[in-house]
Amino acid sequence: MKDIELLIIGAGPAGLAATIEAVRAGVSVTMMDENPRVGGQIFRQLHDGFVATDPKALGHDYRRGQILLAEFESVKSRVNYLEGALVWGIFENNEVAILRGENSRSVRFGKLIISSGAYDRPVPFPGWTLPGVFTAGGAQSLVKTQRVMPGENMLLVGSGPLQLALANQIADAGGKVVAVVEAGRIENWSKLARASWGRWTLLADAARYGWGIRKAKIPLLRNHIILEARGIEQVEEAVVAEVDTDWRPKSGSERVFTVDTVAVGYGFVPSVELALMAGCDLRYEPLLGGWIPVRDENMKTNLPDVYAVGDCAGVAGSLVAIDEGRIAGLAAARALNRLPETATQQRMRPCRKRLTALNRFRAVLDAISLPRPGLHELSRDDTIICRCREIPLKEIKKALQEGATDLNEIKRRIGIGMGPCQGRMCGPPLLEIAAGEKKEPPTNFGYLNPRPPLKPVPLSVLADHAEL
Amino acid sequence: MVGRRIEKSIQRGQPFEIEADGKKIVAYQGETVATALIAAGLRTFRRTVDKNEPRGMFCGIGLCFECRMVINGVPNTRACQTLATPGCRIETQEGRGPLEDFG
Repeated sequence: MKDIELLIIGAGPAGLAATIEAVRAGVSVTMMDENPRVGGQIFRQLHDGFVATDPKALGHDYRRGQILLAEFESVKSRVNYLEGALVWGIFENNEVAILRGENSRSVRFGKLIISSGAYDRPVPFPGWTLPGVFTAGGAQSLVKTQRVMPGENMLLVGSGPLQLALANQIADAGGKVVAVVEAGRIENWSKLARASWGRWTLLADAARYGWGIRKAKIPLLRNHIILEARGIEQVEEAVVAEVDTDWRPKSGSERVFTVDTVAVGYGFVPSVELALMAGCDLRYEPLLGGWIPVRDENMKTNLPDVYAVGDCAGVAGSLVAIDEGRIAGLAAARALNRLPETATQQRMRPCRKRLTALNRFRAVLDAISLPRPGLHELSRDDTIICRCREIPLKEIKKALQEGATDLNEIKRRIGIGMGPCQGRMCGPPLLEIAAGEKKEPPTNFGYLNPRPPLKPVPLSVLADHAEL
Repeated sequence: MVGRRIEKSIQRGQPFEIEADGKKIVAYQGETVATALIAAGLRTFRRTVDKNEPRGMFCGIGLCFECRMVINGVPNTRACQTLATPGCRIETQEGRGPLEDFG
């Protein structure tokens, strides 16, 4: 089995930053990502074939990404980068099983930094499985990096500033946003301004987005939520209602929009499957997206050789991810005796300073866009919760009535979370449904335990798995 | 037609033909299968096993597996993660796909 001094999983902002610092300290780094290009979801680069003629139009994140990518470029020759590589299992004795193309093999790491990122919070509501309903991230990937309009008449529903960003990108590219439906209370800009003191780029983004959608004359419905998407073969209309502070609809406030596309963005949930499979302890933190790995100030988990950074360890965005990545890269270099203690502390200091400032801003933003209970009550008995195995809400309720006391027991009874997505789509809503039905805190119900393979791997490949 | 390509701020690669359920459509170098289909106004990528319901692209980052199709004869291939290549054959996946016939 091949030994790797430092393995970094995920080449988004956090993984790139960790790689940059560790390589500069002289560590031998292998970085891997499922995608062919580095950058992660937020700094996603264009595929070969596309050429950006006006990078400005591709968004502020794209340009910020170029700065980090340039920094990575300066150390790249010293990094062993495995692109298109999927981790499908993490086992005892620091063994990681990696699938690349048709080949699967195991490696052993000295230290491991997990930066697996986050994904759009899955929010079930009647009609959410219809073609034409996308996650906000899915719609954004089409507009930003594939340059295709997801639809003709688009409704953006969700909470937080990202859907304003998406509305701007669509309008700028000549698409039609019928309305932006915002569940949170974003009118409190002055509070946001005070919190973002010293973080002008973030505030400027928010202001620019707000200004952009006014210029494009896109209606912004505050304190509104989507109740249902309707259609036979695809989305034809969407029902929207005004909500109270708990995001519960006010009766009589429903209105119907004729749309062919709905993009749903209620924030993100951390991808904790890798951390779980490594054996990390989790804690529940709603403001950071749900279950996240327990960490110390150096981003180290409860396991002595495993670090977790960026959105997979608490959703906080790319700027936080970069500094967390730098700190973990330095901490791993220190632990591997590649960097003296004083130099480590010296290099960590500016990162910690920036993180403190960013956290202040984030606390306000999180409080505004944190999902409220009404968001988890939109499904009807026949609404599909598990998209893979077509399991409706009523089967979950039945399992709970018949005595299931945690998510894994519900999984064993009705097979939820056992399809190809491995519970990534149904896990977060299942937790909220169980907590709501039983009127108990979500922590009572735990999380779905991932099992290898983490993503579907052909049996023929598993049979040939080499323990090189 | 629902989808369409954005020309602003970008230059596309070479165009070529691909086949979607027997019909020729255009794709450009760098586009995923999902993008080429959406640009051609095609949104239903598969039909579900139990209820025969239509499903299309959802998450766009390879996690949800809703966009699985039969691509060049291989079922359960994610359209959002697969680059279109000249002449590739794409079929709507019915249920679990053609392999179940052999089971």
